[in-house]
Amino acid sequence: MRPLSEYLQSFLLVELLRGLRLTGRHFFSRSVTLEFPEERAPKSPRFRGHLALRRYANGEERCIACKLCEVVCPAQAITIESHQRADGTRRTTRYEVDMFKCIYCGFCEESCPVDSIVLTRLDTYTAEVSGERVLNKQQLLSMGDRYESQIAADRAVDAPYR
Amino acid sequence: MSQEKVTIEIDGRTIGARAGEPLIEAADRAGIYIPRFCYHKHLSVVASCRMCLVEVERAPKPLPACATQVADGMKVATRSAGALDAQRGVMEFLLINHPLDCPICDQGGECELQDQALGYGRGVSRFVEGKRAVADEDLGPLVATEMTRCIHCTRCVRFLEEIAGDQELGGMHRGEQLRISTYTGEPLRSELSSNIIDLCPVGALTNKPFRFRARAWELLSFPMVSVHDGVGSHLSVHTYQGRIQRVVPRECSTINETWIADRDRYAIEGLAAPDRLREPLVKRYGEWHTAGWEEALSAAVAGVRRVLEGHGAAGIGALLAPHATLEELYLGGRVVRALGSANVDHRLREGDVSDQEQAPPFPYLGGTIAELEQADAVLLIGSYPRHEQPLIQHRLRKAARAGAQIMALGLRRFAWNFELAEEHAVAPQHLVSELAAVAQALGERKQRKLPQALRGLPGGSVSEPARAMAKRLLAGERAVVLLGNQALSHPQAATLRALAALIGEWSGGRFGVLAAAANSAGGWLAGALPHREVAGRPSAEQGLAADAMVRAQLPCYLLHDVEPEHDLWDPAAADAALRQAEHVVAVSSFASERLREVADVLLPLGAFGETAGTYVNTEGRWQSVRGVAQSYAEARPGWRIWCALAQLLELEGFAYPDIAAVHAEIAGACRDVQPSSRYPAELRSSGATSADGGSSSAPGRASGQGSGVTLALAGAVPIYAGDALVRRSEPLQQSPLAARLEAVVAPETAQQLGISHAETDEATVRVRVQAAAAEALELPLVVSSTIPAGTVWIPAGLAERAQLGPPFGTVTIEAL
Ligand code: SF4
Ligand code: SF4
Ligand code: SF4
Ligand code: FES
Repeated sequence: MRPLSEYLQSFLLVELLRGLRLTGRHFFSRSVTLEFPEERAPKSPRFRGHLALRRYANGEERCIACKLCEVVCPAQAITIESHQRADGTRRTTRYEVDMFKCIYCGFCEESCPVDSIVLTRLDTYTAEVSGERVLNKQQLLSMGDRYESQIAADRAVDAPYR
Repeated sequence: MSQEKVTIEIDGRTIGARAGEPLIEAADRAGIYIPRFCYHKHLSVVASCRMCLVEVERAPKPLPACATQVADGMKVATRSAGALDAQRGVMEFLLINHPLDCPICDQGGECELQDQALGYGRGVSRFVEGKRAVADEDLGPLVATEMTRCIHCTRCVRFLEEIAGDQELGGMHRGEQLRISTYTGEPLRSELSSNIIDLCPVGALTNKPFRFRARAWELLSFPMVSVHDGVGSHLSVHTYQGRIQRVVPRECSTINETWIADRDRYAIEGLAAPDRLREPLVKRYGEWHTAGWEEALSAAVAGVRRVLEGHGAAGIGALLAPHATLEELYLGGRVVRALGSANVDHRLREGDVSDQEQAPPFPYLGGTIAELEQADAVLLIGSYPRHEQPLIQHRLRKAARAGAQIMALGLRRFAWNFELAEEHAVAPQHLVSELAAVAQALGERKQRKLPQALRGLPGGSVSEPARAMAKRLLAGERAVVLLGNQALSHPQAATLRALAALIGEWSGGRFGVLAAAANSAGGWLAGALPHREVAGRPSAEQGLAADAMVRAQLPCYLLHDVEPEHDLWDPAAADAALRQAEHVVAVSSFASERLREVADVLLPLGAFGETAGTYVNTEGRWQSVRGVAQSYAEARPGWRIWCALAQLLELEGFAYPDIAAVHAEIAGACRDVQPSSRYPAELRSSGATSADGGSSSAPGRASGQGSGVTLALAGAVPIYAGDALVRRSEPLQQSPLAARLEAVVAPETAQQLGISHAETDEATVRVRVQAAAAEALELPLVVSSTIPAGTVWIPAGLAERAQLGPPFGTVTIEAL
C-alpha cells in the first residue's frame, strides 16, 4: 500500500503545496529585514563600536597622554607618544589605534580618567588600503567631533549606572 | 652605634640586630617591609611622616620604626590591627592635601605614595573641603617641580644639606603653610642635585628633560656604568623603543652608594644632538659626500696606504679618547702597531709623560673608593673632585665630616662643600716647588732626604703652609695623597707624580691618582700607549705620546671620538697638525664644524649605550656593559669599525666573532697585572727638574711691548665640558655650573692691569688675552681672590679658547 500512497502524494503535488503554504504565510506577514544603508537596527547606549577621541566644549582635546588606555588594551592596539606642549601641559604627539587589532572590549574607555577615548555607536566602516587600518590622532579627534552629541547623550544615559 | 648583638622579635619572627640601630633597618634586613616616606638609609632620621608606625610591646602608643632604636628582647608588630590602623590613619591624612593628578604625573607608576595608597588608603576620600595648592618653584633646567604634590618628607632638604653639602632647599613657613622652597628663587647649583628626583617619594620633584616622555611601565631597564669620569658609577639606563630615555642610579655600596652626578644622568640628552653623525662621510675636493660604509672604509684605508707608501709607518698616529671602551682602545692600538707604527695614545689631556717608562701598569687610586671614607688626613694636589669626580668628593666629604683633615694644594681656591684643614693655592709655575716643600718638610721630620733628582726644587726655605700640611699628614693614621686632573695636565706632571708618590710613602699612607676619564686606567691596560702594549708589555717600537704626536705634525692621524679643539692638551697645536696632515680619519659620534674642516673621512661611531664594552675605573675595577640602545642611523660600535679597517688593510688577527672574544683576549693578557702606585723618584727628563715651569719671561710683571701684563696661565676642564656627549647636553649647558669662558684674576693682578673694581662674580670689563704667536682673544674679566696673584685662570677644554694652547703657559693680558 505504501508505495501507492506515496505515488498519489507526489502526483497531487501535496508536498509542494505544503511548502507553498509556508511561503504564502510569510508572503503576507510583516517584513523584518532592514534596508541596510537606509535603515539601521536600534542600538544600546552602551554599544561598543568605532573609537573616537573627545574634546571639551572649549575645543581643547581631553586626552592628557596618561597612557592608561595604551597599557590596559589587551590587543595592544593603541600606540601613544607624549611630550610637554608649549603651554606646559602633558599631551600626545602621537595617538594611533590599529582598528584591525582592536577587539572592541571597551577597556580603554573604562581606564580613561578624562573620558577622552570612547567607543561610539558607529559599526560600519571600511578600509581600502592596508595602511588605513591605523587611525591617527587627527582622524580619531574628528570622529569625536562628528559624533560628540551622540557620544555625550549616550554617556548621560549611562551615568546613573557607573 | 654599638656593635652589641641583640635579638628581637618582629611579627613573631626572631631576628638578630645591633643594639641601637633603627628598627626599620633591622626589619629591612630581615625582609619585613614597613611602609615609609621620610626614612632613607643614607640620610638622617627625622621621623616626620609617621608612615612607619608599628606597635611595640609595652609601648603605650604606636612608635615610628625609623626613629625607634632596637633593644634586646623587643617585640614588634608591624601588621597588627593597631599598627595597620595607625598606618591607615597617617595615609588618610597624607592624602587630604595630595592632588589627584596621577594621570599627568611623571611619578605615576613608580610612586611610593601611589603604592602605599593602594595598600593603606581608602577607596573614597572622606575629605570634602578644598585641597591645598602651592605656588611652584623653579629649580633650574634639571629638576621639574610640582610642589602641590609635596608631602613634606624633607628627604630633598636633607639630601642637599647632608650629602650635596649646600642647604639649597628648606622648609618655609609652618603648619598648613609649610612648603619646600629655595626661598631665593635661585636654581640648584649642586653637582649632585638631581638625586633629589629619586629621593622624592612623590612626583613633586621629577626629571625635567624627561618630562612627559614615557611612563615607568613601558621602559626597559639595563645596567650600565657612567663614562664621564674615572669613578664608573653604576647606572640603569631606561629605554623606550630602543632609545635611551633616562638614566637613574643603580645601587653600589662600594662605588656610588645610591647617588650619581648630574653629569651621569643628563649627558644622554646630547645623544641626538643636531651634529650627530648619521652616516659615513667622505671628503672629495673639499666637499663632504655621504657614503656607504664600504666606500668610506675604503677611502679611509686608501689614504692610510698612500701615507704608508709616501712616508712610512712612522707617519701614522692614532689619538684615542680616554673614555672609549677598553676594546676600542685595544683594537685601535693594535691596528696602529700592526701597521708598523707605535704612535698611539689615549692620554690626550696630558702634557708631560716623561716618567712613562717606569710608571706602574695603570694610574691607580691606591685602594678602593670606599676606603677613602676611612682616611683621616688627605692631601689633594691640583684637584677639585667636586667637579672632576663628584662621587670621590662625596667620599671625601664623608671623611671630613667624620673628622678627617683634608688639605688642598692647588692652582686656585675652589668652593669646597666641607671645611678644609689647609688650602694653599699657588701659581702653576710654583706648584712643583710647593709640593717639593711639603716633601722636604716631611723629610725633615722623618730624617729623610729627597732623592737626587728632586733636590733643589724648593725655592729656599720651606713655606708655612707646606710645613702645616706635612705635619697634618704625619699626624694622620690613614693618610691619603691624591693627584687630581689639574696636576695630571700640568706641564711638569711627571715631577708632581714623583713627589706626590714620595709624600704618600713618607707619610705612611697611600698615594693615588684620580683618573680623569672613564678609561684613563683602561687605556694603559689596553696598550693604547706609545711605549707599552696590552697589559704593560714593553712595545717593540717606541712611538710618540699624544702631545708629541701633535707637535710632530704627522701626515696621517686616526682619531677615535676626539674633538681636537676640546679634548687635546694643546688644541692650537692639534689644530695646526690636523690641518697640515694629508689624511685624517675620524671615528666619531659627532661631527663638529672644526672636525669637518680637518677630517677627510668621518665614520659614525655608536655612542654611550649603543655599544658594548668594558671600562676600568680608577680603583682598577673592570666593568663590562652591553649595548642597550639601537644604533643611531648608520653608526656602528667602535670595535667593529677598527676590525673592519684592519681587515681592509689586510692585517692579520682581527677576525673576531664578537666583542666577547676581544674582551677575553685583553682579560687573559691582564690576568697577572698588579695595581700599584709606585712612581719613580729618579726622573729621566732633565727639563722636568727646573723649578719654574719652563716659562721664559717671569710672569706677573709688565712686559716690554705694549701695556700688557704677562701672567701665568692656569685652567681646568669645567664640569660640563669633559667629553663630546656632556658638551652637547642642553640641560647641563643651561645649568648654573655650565662653563663660562672668562679670565679670572686676583685683585692685585687687576690693579696691575689698571682695573680698580671690587671683587665680583660678574664680569664687567673685557680684556685681550694673547698667547705666544696666536691671535689674541677677547674675554670678560672676573676679579676674584680665589686666584693666586700673577695667575690668570681661563678654563681649559673649551673650543673658544683653543688658540691659547695648553691649559698652562704664559699669556699677556691687556685691559680693553
Ligand atoms: S576597545 Fe579594547 S581592544 Fe580596542 S583599543 Fe580599546 S582596549 Fe584596545
Ligand atoms: S585617551 Fe584617556 S586613557 Fe588614553 S592616554 Fe588619553 S587620557 Fe589617558
Ligand atoms: S619635594 Fe619630595 S622629597 Fe622634598 S619634601 Fe616634598 S615630597 Fe619630600
Ligand atoms: S619613615 Fe618613619 S616617620 Fe617617616
